[in-house]
Amino acid sequence: MTARRGPRPTSERLRRLLVMLPWLMERGEVPLAEMAERFDLTEEQLVKDIELVSMCGLPPFVDELIDVWIDEGVVSTGIPRVFTRPLRLTAPEGFALLASARVAMQMPGADADGALGRALRKLAEALGDDGVVVDTPAPPAAEAITAAADACERLRVSYWSAAADEPSAREITPRRVFLDRGRWYVVADDHRSGETRTFRIDRIMSCESTGVIDQPREVDVPDGENWFADAGLPTARLRLLAQAGWVIERYPTRSVTPDADALVVELTVANQRWLEALLLRLGPAARVLDPPEWTHLGADAARALLARYEAEGSEAS
Amino acid sequence: MVDALERITNLVALLLETRSPVTLEQIVNELQGQYPAGESAARGAFERDKAMLREIGVPIESQVLAGSDAGKTAYWIDRRRYELADLDLTADERQALQMAVAAARLSEGEFGLLKLGADGGAAATVVTNIPDAPALPALREASAHHASASFRYHGTQRELHPYALLLREGFWYVIGLDLAHDAQRTYRVDRIEGDVEVGAANAFTRPIDFDPRQAFPSDPKLIGDEPALRAVVHVDAPRAAAAVADLGDEAVIERLDGGAVRVSVPCTNLDAFRSWLFGLGRHAEVIAPPEVRSSVAEWLRSMVVAG
Repeated sequence: MTARRGPRPTSERLRRLLVMLPWLMERGEVPLAEMAERFDLTEEQLVKDIELVSMCGLPPFVDELIDVWIDEGVVSTGIPRVFTRPLRLTAPEGFALLASARVAMQMPGADADGALGRALRKLAEALGDDGVVVDTPAPPAAEAITAAADACERLRVSYWSAAADEPSAREITPRRVFLDRGRWYVVADDHRSGETRTFRIDRIMSCESTGVIDQPREVDVPDGENWFADAGLPTARLRLLAQAGWVIERYPTRSVTPDADALVVELTVANQRWLEALLLRLGPAARVLDPPEWTHLGADAARALLARYEAEGSEAS
Repeated sequence: MVDALERITNLVALLLETRSPVTLEQIVNELQGQYPAGESAARGAFERDKAMLREIGVPIESQVLAGSDAGKTAYWIDRRRYELADLDLTADERQALQMAVAAARLSEGEFGLLKLGADGGAAATVVTNIPDAPALPALREASAHHASASFRYHGTQRELHPYALLLREGFWYVIGLDLAHDAQRTYRVDRIEGDVEVGAANAFTRPIDFDPRQAFPSDPKLIGDEPALRAVVHVDAPRAAAAVADLGDEAVIERLDGGAVRVSVPCTNLDAFRSWLFGLGRHAEVIAPPEVRSSVAEWLRSMVVAG
């Protein structure tokens, strides 16, 4: 059957082939299963491509341009020919490698003279200078948090939470650290609530070891756009004018619908205080449509704050 | 008809191995029966193959011939340009790169790793979400090769000598010399409309002391053309520690009884300043200068009026 031809475009097959062949030629022979796994193909797909290249040929090498065969689950090559080196890195590959490495250099514990720093220099040189600068420094607590995640170590932290509006002490077992939109977070077991929670690392005011080591546990990292979506948090529907449009780039949204010269946005709200602060920042450029109990939130907060400015002979209260 | 993959593999092999550039006629002849009959059908198929090869990054050279074949185009692949340079990565360097790519989870990076002989899928404790924008690879190449970059931005065509790409606060910026203004400018890469056109290499030299972190103030409150202006802000006790952590101890003017503080904050960019101020919710009040204080009060009043 050739039903796979649709989902695997020729360009994708060729792109892989030009990396697989030199790799194989360098080794001479490799188990089929290992090669398929490495190049993210099913064995069936790999067999199909290998059989096909074994038939390639140009005079004077008709049918034996690339000397490759499969026997008893092992892929073998004869004399390396033509495709002896992988194709150079493309612009998107080069960018992705450099950007990944540059971001990783901002990770807790990264060292410019360490292995990553050296790899980066070699990569930049091969790609003709670098041109990529990353400025998303990890907060001070990040290194200890990452080390604790690697060791499944339980920490006692002081965390400033927007909901409580004050620091609180709690015990957490960090699981994974992630960077999103310039901020560092940790997904951790929160022993106070018994749930998996996501914390902003820059709001961890202090942390110390408890000496307790917990069982290893896999947790998913919230994914790009919707990392609040599963948390069962409330949603607010906002109407944003153009100058408030940055909100959809900065915060996770559930939907964005253009409405005349504005956007109607469904925004996940971590807590009421957060929404209140956001509304103050947006000013007249934003209006809450839903839920009803929040439609006056911005105006109420503004009125309360304004009282401080309008009080007789006021400075600070 | 042979499988298109077989024909294109043969085409790449021919262009890599040929001693002198080959015309389409010669290619069709060498790859007997693999291209459709008839010159225009063969030309169409060949152009599609060529486009696909360029898309996956195979560099195809061409030249117009003189002499008996005058006017015909001949093609070849320059092996030095085709092949990956040997990076000479040690095992620990390769592993470090692998961890970086595993953290970033960019598929192009994973494929690049395969070319470098490293494995793809490592599991990482740290995950880094790197924002993507279609213009990034071309801008990086332009910056790396010191070539000019042309693109549309807010409906206007710009030409830039891109000194660097900067990732900050979740956005990519390109910073360079804007040729129309003959001044340094910063553009948000995700706002670039359409393709970036990259000019010839070595069109500019990056200023020796250029540092994008300096060229573009990290504190948005400082971005602006006005002379540096600072405000005095009263922060109530519950957020005082957070405000000081953000601004640094040197910003503290006075510590008040009960835990509140007075801090000095840049307010050159009033929008950014207000954003910072209201990030503290109801716990911050501008004390001075009077014009900043009244502008904040005016902002609040407009919110109350809007209801």
